[in-house]
Amino acid sequence: MFRYILRRLLQMVLAFFGTTLIVYALMFAGQGDPIQALAGERPVTAAQRAYLTEKYHLDATGVGGFFYRYFDYVKNLVQGDLGESLTGRSIGQILQQAWPVTVKLALIALAVAILFGVTAGVIAGIRRASIFDNSTLLLTLLVLGIPTIVLAPLAQYFLGVKLQLFPPTAGSNPTFYALLLPGIVLGSLSLATALRLTRTSVAENLRADYVRTAKSKGLLRRRIISVHVLRNSLIPVITFLGVELGNLMSGAIITEGVFNIPGVGFNLFRAIKTEDGPLVVGIVSVLVVVYLVSNLVVDVLYAVLDPRIRYE
Amino acid sequence: MQVRRLAAWTALPLAVTLGLAACGSGGNGGSGKSNPNAAVSIQIGEPQHLVPTNTTETSGSQVLAGLFSPLVDYDAQNKPYEVAAQSVASSDNKVWTIKLKDGFTFHNGQKVMSDDYINAWNYGAYAPNGQGASYFFEKIAGYDDLQSVDPDGDGPKAAPAPKAKTMSGLKKVDDQTFTVTLSQPYIDFKTMLGYTAFYPLPKAAFSAPGVLKDSYEQAPIGQGPFKMKGTWQHDAKIEVERYDAYPTEKPKVQGVEFRIYQQLSAAYADVLGDNLDVIPTIATENMSSAAADLGDRYKTSPMSSFQFLAFPTFDKNFSSPDVRKAISMAIDRDEITKSVFKGSQQPARSFVSPVLPGYRDNTAGAAGNFNPTEAKKLYQAAGGPAKITISYNGDGGHKDWVDATCNQLKANLGVDCVGSAEPKFADLLTKVEKKQPVGLFRMGWVMDYPSMEDYLGPLYSTNGSSNYYGYSNPEFDKLVKEGSAAPTQEEAIKKYQQAEDILAKDMPVIPLRFGQNVYGSSTKVKNVEMDLFQRVNLVKIEAVS
Amino acid sequence: MSDFETVAASENQAARRGPSGEPGIPGQVGTPQKPRSLAGDAWRDLRRNPIFWISLTLVVLVAAMAAFPELFASNDPRNCALSRQHAGPSGGAIFGYDFQGCDIYARSVYGARASLLVGLLSALLTGIIAVVVGMLAGYFGRWIDAVLSRVIDIVLGIPLLLAAIVLLKRVSTGGPNTRLAAVIVVLAILGWTTAARVVRSSVITAKEQDYVAAARMLGAGHSRIMWRHILPNSLAPAIVVLTIALGSFIAAEATLSFLGIGLKSPTISWGIDIDAGRVHMRESATPLVVPSAFLALTVLAFIMLGDAIRDAFDPKLR
Repeated sequence: MFRYILRRLLQMVLAFFGTTLIVYALMFAGQGDPIQALAGERPVTAAQRAYLTEKYHLDATGVGGFFYRYFDYVKNLVQGDLGESLTGRSIGQILQQAWPVTVKLALIALAVAILFGVTAGVIAGIRRASIFDNSTLLLTLLVLGIPTIVLAPLAQYFLGVKLQLFPPTAGSNPTFYALLLPGIVLGSLSLATALRLTRTSVAENLRADYVRTAKSKGLLRRRIISVHVLRNSLIPVITFLGVELGNLMSGAIITEGVFNIPGVGFNLFRAIKTEDGPLVVGIVSVLVVVYLVSNLVVDVLYAVLDPRIRYE
Repeated sequence: MQVRRLAAWTALPLAVTLGLAACGSGGNGGSGKSNPNAAVSIQIGEPQHLVPTNTTETSGSQVLAGLFSPLVDYDAQNKPYEVAAQSVASSDNKVWTIKLKDGFTFHNGQKVMSDDYINAWNYGAYAPNGQGASYFFEKIAGYDDLQSVDPDGDGPKAAPAPKAKTMSGLKKVDDQTFTVTLSQPYIDFKTMLGYTAFYPLPKAAFSAPGVLKDSYEQAPIGQGPFKMKGTWQHDAKIEVERYDAYPTEKPKVQGVEFRIYQQLSAAYADVLGDNLDVIPTIATENMSSAAADLGDRYKTSPMSSFQFLAFPTFDKNFSSPDVRKAISMAIDRDEITKSVFKGSQQPARSFVSPVLPGYRDNTAGAAGNFNPTEAKKLYQAAGGPAKITISYNGDGGHKDWVDATCNQLKANLGVDCVGSAEPKFADLLTKVEKKQPVGLFRMGWVMDYPSMEDYLGPLYSTNGSSNYYGYSNPEFDKLVKEGSAAPTQEEAIKKYQQAEDILAKDMPVIPLRFGQNVYGSSTKVKNVEMDLFQRVNLVKIEAVS
Repeated sequence: MSDFETVAASENQAARRGPSGEPGIPGQVGTPQKPRSLAGDAWRDLRRNPIFWISLTLVVLVAAMAAFPELFASNDPRNCALSRQHAGPSGGAIFGYDFQGCDIYARSVYGARASLLVGLLSALLTGIIAVVVGMLAGYFGRWIDAVLSRVIDIVLGIPLLLAAIVLLKRVSTGGPNTRLAAVIVVLAILGWTTAARVVRSSVITAKEQDYVAAARMLGAGHSRIMWRHILPNSLAPAIVVLTIALGSFIAAEATLSFLGIGLKSPTISWGIDIDAGRVHMRESATPLVVPSAFLALTVLAFIMLGDAIRDAFDPKLR
């Protein structure tokens, strides 16, 4: 197991640089006119264009230009310098400010998905075709039919402004309570998927032979479900949730915008819009580490949940 | 209803007993006593920069308006009057003498002197500093010496250092006086001085002559009514507090928190919840409910924005002025401003904004009036294309009116029409520059200072900085040039108006709408006023306790 | 867990295919002459399942709407006039008119084509990639798993927005169909990872089961074990993820429209209409609710269909 984890950590380094290369290439391919993008609708002066072009090597084009700029970036990255955004802000600082609030938000969303999604999924799986089961299906449809771009402003208006149960926006340094509503909104789709996944898995495992064996041995129903069925049903759910943690961090563009949380999703959106290559790569590099680590944890958990799975 | 009426009845005597008689300027949203010890919060976006010569967007400009005091400001007729300047005068419109008012000090205590202006302007104009507002200094003599030409365009070679570091046109007379020599006479120079780029910088801003400290931008020191409280908290807020040594009209609040929002609709929700005091711009998606949500806290005021449709000259489909006029006549501007913008914008039938001295109604003539039958006749006679595309940037809330315009063109001209969104304006411009088919494309313009020249020059002159469509008419160029060199305002305006008449004949663009400030405030503030540049007036606003 | 019951259960299908026609489950003694396949059994089950018929009807209905919208709506969805803004129902417009004065019902009917194409094709592509990658990684393990899993990690990291912008910029001069294809490709290329990881996890669990060991002892090759034994037993979670993904792809198209990089006019889609309806939802909710309801019903149909088919193919349920 130890060697397995060590090997995975080594692979991680490769994957990390692979990602920076791909994302850098994508940014490069998508580059239009970052200087005009920064200026919005205003005209750009020749002096300013020359200054920014020089400073960020925007004139290095073609394949040669790409590798020149990429290796320049990696060289600085290895020295711990993530570079500067086009407005002259240190990317390291931007990330330092953006990550904590996003991690908090994603963890709340994930907790919501686990707490409600998995619990409701287990109940729905045990009582298939019951009223409860059907109402969870209805909830899933509701979440799917109302995408975040609609759900977020709706929740903000009704729960934040009208009923004043939650603050309408969270801001840059929010309390746990202020993040609760955005967290629920963000977690709703994961909740629905986790719920359906748990339900199917539980329903499937309830029919497995070991359950029949356990039943005939006279074990308590509660024990059968909480120990045998749940443990065997969790593998796909955990796999899904492990991936979802990363998705929640990068995919919060809409939620972070509506609730005014200056986190990773917002910065990623802004960086992509202003074609700020170094900032996008910086954010995505950290994001990939999140995916790599959470997927490693999930893979290790497989072996814990199912002793038949072994890593050499 | 019961509860509300009750509240109104209790509020009234309360207000009376609190002695509102002392407050003559009530009736502006919130009621109650003004509290000079309270701070107010105002929405902004994350500024790109807070160095005056590098600030060209509204958010940065709003913050700097609190930290700095301009040489001139604009009165109700949008004519300039002196604020930080004692006088701005010239006999030939070429050599201008600027005398500073006594008593202005920077927030670090330093007295404001003429050198502080000269140094700041030279810094802004020096090309290697890459300042976004450097073009404001191009009329000053010696500006060209601070520029340098890249020998191989976008190639790898760096541009050589410019010839000079200071503009020869800036001369110090004494500590309170300096002269500005322009390369040629310019009638609107005084008007121009109200722009953000012309603020002074204190000695403490520079680490060496001509070198700005990196840290300056994080906590700019100005000479305005407010000083920084702490530093710029990126993506979160910028806080300022009243500067007690400010010599002229003092602010009526203790401080201002400029809170940074990514989205206007989030700020709008906060205003509804009384978590934010002022939202300077209400987003289109909140427009329809804003009047009902905010009541008398929903307000509009004049602003300079001008929306129009442009025809790229490389597209031969639209080369005939008659085709362009026919399209203009087929657009029902009144219906769009009423139904799509809920009256928050005004139909435009002229080529410059109505806030300007010299503006005339309906200079586009018949082409500006909705006339579907004439339009169709003219369009067919002139051989207009059977398919029209209107390109726009998808990130600016333009979809609704572009789609509505397309539907009108479909119905009135019998053509096929689609609105085509590009992710952002820069992508649209890239397409235009590559001469890719974009059809018509939308553009907007907000003035930098109130002069007709600020529209005619950049938008329609052959070398205009925002003339992306390639319109060129030598006669027009000549008239604008003559106007800016005219000896008096009256003569200048006459020339500008003649130039505008040429536009009406050529119809290089279709004027659509003039914008307004549409803003809202919480119940905790009153006397919220906006200027022509979408900024909240920070010395007028009051907090209500 | 070394009882042979599991082996027997999963080898049932092989036994049942035998000419001896030994009844697998009591009470299902039918035509002994005809050999019975798993699919045949499944079909027999499905035929008697009302949920299957309801969901199938819905799917066929939406598909027909996508193919022949003019049969369902008489009005032209592109005939809009501001004078009818948010007007109530009249003529063929049973749900009234939207902000631009277009017939909401007609637009929702005509929007089915693009939305269904986006949802179905993206989900299908996603499913194919996910099953192949997940199966290979989970079954073979070792370096194949290492490479494929790291590819998954990398793809997970690439923001949808970035890929969408880059790809859609490439096709920005193409027609509406190119754009539709680009949206489908973007959603699939970046959407398969979650499903692949889920498939991989079920394969890892399944390959340790006794029936796999038994099949291997009986001399079955890798591909036979993978596709005949492991796949049917590890598909259930994937079907759940994919049916939900189908719905979220249709909705994701709305988000792309919101960000200005999705489908665009003259294409009509539920995503475009949901995004447009969202802006004015406080004036009138109908233009938002109707396309959302079409979307939700379509997803419901696919979720139920997926559930029914999965149940029918599960031998343990008999």
